[in-house]
Amino acid sequence: MHENLRRLTLIGALAVLTGWPAAAGDTSARQLIAQFAAEAGTQPSAARGKALFMGTHTGGKPETPSCTTCHTRNLKAAGQTRAGKAIEPMAPSVNPARYTDSAKVAKWFRRNCKSVLGRECTAAEKADILAWLSGL
Amino acid sequence: MDKKRAEAAQGRTRRAPQPVWDGFVRLFHWGLVASIAVAAVTGFLLGPSFIPVHVVAASLAVALVLARIIWGFAGGGYARFAGFVAGPGRLLRYARDVLARREARHVGHNPLGGAMVLALMAAVLVAGLTGWAFLGAGAKLGPFAFVLAFAASPVLAELHEAVAFAILALVALHVAGVVFTSRREGENLVRAMVTGEKEVGPQDIVPPQREPRTGAALGVGLALALVLGAAIAAPVFLPVPGAPVAEIDPTVRAECTDCHMFYHPSLLPAGDWRRIMATLDDHYGEDASLDADTAAEITAWLTAHAAESADTRASKVFRLDPAGGVTRITETPFWKARHAGIGDAAFRSAEVGSRANCAACHADAESGWFNPFFAEIEG
Ligand code: HEC
Ligand code: HEC
Ligand code: HEC
Repeated sequence: MHENLRRLTLIGALAVLTGWPAAAGDTSARQLIAQFAAEAGTQPSAARGKALFMGTHTGGKPETPSCTTCHTRNLKAAGQTRAGKAIEPMAPSVNPARYTDSAKVAKWFRRNCKSVLGRECTAAEKADILAWLSGL
Repeated sequence: MDKKRAEAAQGRTRRAPQPVWDGFVRLFHWGLVASIAVAAVTGFLLGPSFIPVHVVAASLAVALVLARIIWGFAGGGYARFAGFVAGPGRLLRYARDVLARREARHVGHNPLGGAMVLALMAAVLVAGLTGWAFLGAGAKLGPFAFVLAFAASPVLAELHEAVAFAILALVALHVAGVVFTSRREGENLVRAMVTGEKEVGPQDIVPPQREPRTGAALGVGLALALVLGAAIAAPVFLPVPGAPVAEIDPTVRAECTDCHMFYHPSLLPAGDWRRIMATLDDHYGEDASLDADTAAEITAWLTAHAAESADTRASKVFRLDPAGGVTRITETPFWKARHAGIGDAAFRSAEVGSRANCAACHADAESGWFNPFFAEIEG
């Protein structure tokens, strides 16, 4: 019993120290923006983020020319995937769970930037996009 | 008048009409007419989306026949099998008498009519049996789901259809017999089956009168209904061999349902899943890439529960063939044929959005069953 308790405490402490597991609610948009901005060495710009998100691109897959293909231009409302499934609103003002899970944000930036731009987004671009999205 | 002439011909005088067909016999007769008519129209003429109506109507016909069999042992004199079932000898003699125009008049069923009653009831029972066997093998519904493999369903479908044609032939023969006897005896037998009354003459053959045992009949009927109801519902409560895996791996559900419904692993063979999982970075026009560990875990689960592990229709009909241009379930010949009647607008409607959004129309899509009973066109 004691032994188990001690081991559990140890594991818990280790988990906190190493940031493991990267579970839901392990971060915030502010933290992420700061992280990406530091990595890029640039100031995040919501205006640049908006232009990138709303713009039409040609480098990626023809089915997804823009972030708005799925998320739509009204980010306070639900979007729709190409397979017809609803996507929760992107604006944290209506969907507070947004940008609070670092693994989820990383996974979708990787996928969606590759689909739309044909390449991964740079840290600067991620900081810009989040700077804009987090203010909605 | 026809009737007068017939009476004169047979040297008979008639008395006042007497009750012959009791309430249940008439209910049975016209209930069977209605249920077989609905079953025939839905089975022969309408498409697979009417299967549920067909099954309900046909099962009602079977239930009526079973009730009639009980009544054949418990009902009054005219209803009892003992009163109208004739052996081959009597049957042949009666047929010869009919040809020689010297047959005796039976107030209940005459021997040939009685044989027709038995033949029709037997045919309905065999049709019900083959029908439920087909449902058991093909859709894993009803008691036969436990014993019949999907592979048996084409043979059962043929058999069921043959029996259904036999019923049509028997119905035609039965109607011809009724018309013939009505004219020969100068009495409208169809009306008699409505009013329940027939004229009884002094020389007519009347079965021995028996006291109906209604209570016993109801008891036996109720017990039988419970047993059959339980047998039909059994696959809902008991594990069926070849059922698609019911417990869905949480990682697969989490990672594979962000963009679309959950595609059950039993829809595609393991080889197709392996290829889909190996090309997630170019997944139907999107990047759906995963880290290597998660991808390996998902691949293992999908291939373990792939089509090869199930025995449903949906596990047999979808095979992808990228070399042949079939990269999606919705491009397979079976899918295209079964959904040919659905317009483009229905797929593009707000409720559906995509052909691949099976769950919008198939309420049980995510379970892998794709039971035709739960298919409904949305939008
Ligand atoms: C093909 C459809 C599609 C396109 C195009 C798309 N997204 Fe997404 N995005 C999704 C889906 C699906 C999710 C995950 C579902 C959810 O989080 O509600 C998602 C999630 C995200 C997330 C994670 C949100 C969170 O809660 O952590 C971010 C960030 C994101 N998308 C940004 C973008 C950007 C930037 C673009 C354009 C480069 C883009 N998306 C284009 C479908 C798309
Ligand atoms: C980033 C979004 C996304 C993710 C994540 C995703 N898919 Fe898909 N998937 C799609 C799209 C888009 C289609 C094409 C749907 C259409 O045509 O309407 C598709 C189609 C499919 C199809 C073919 C459906 C058909 O009609 O034949 C299968 C099978 C499939 N996905 C399996 C998976 C599996 C397994 C996973 C999890 C490892 C997964 N998907 C994750 C976007 C995604
Ligand atoms: C717009 C609605 C709709 C969509 C979307 C749809 N289906 Fe269907 N499906 C139907 C209807 C309706 C039927 C019954 C058609 C008929 O009458 O034969 C059917 C029949 C079927 C059957 C035959 C069932 C049987 O045993 O008779 C299968 C299997 C099936 N669909 C699979 C799929 C799959 C897999 C998908 C997704 C990839 C899908 N369907 C998408 C409406 C739809």
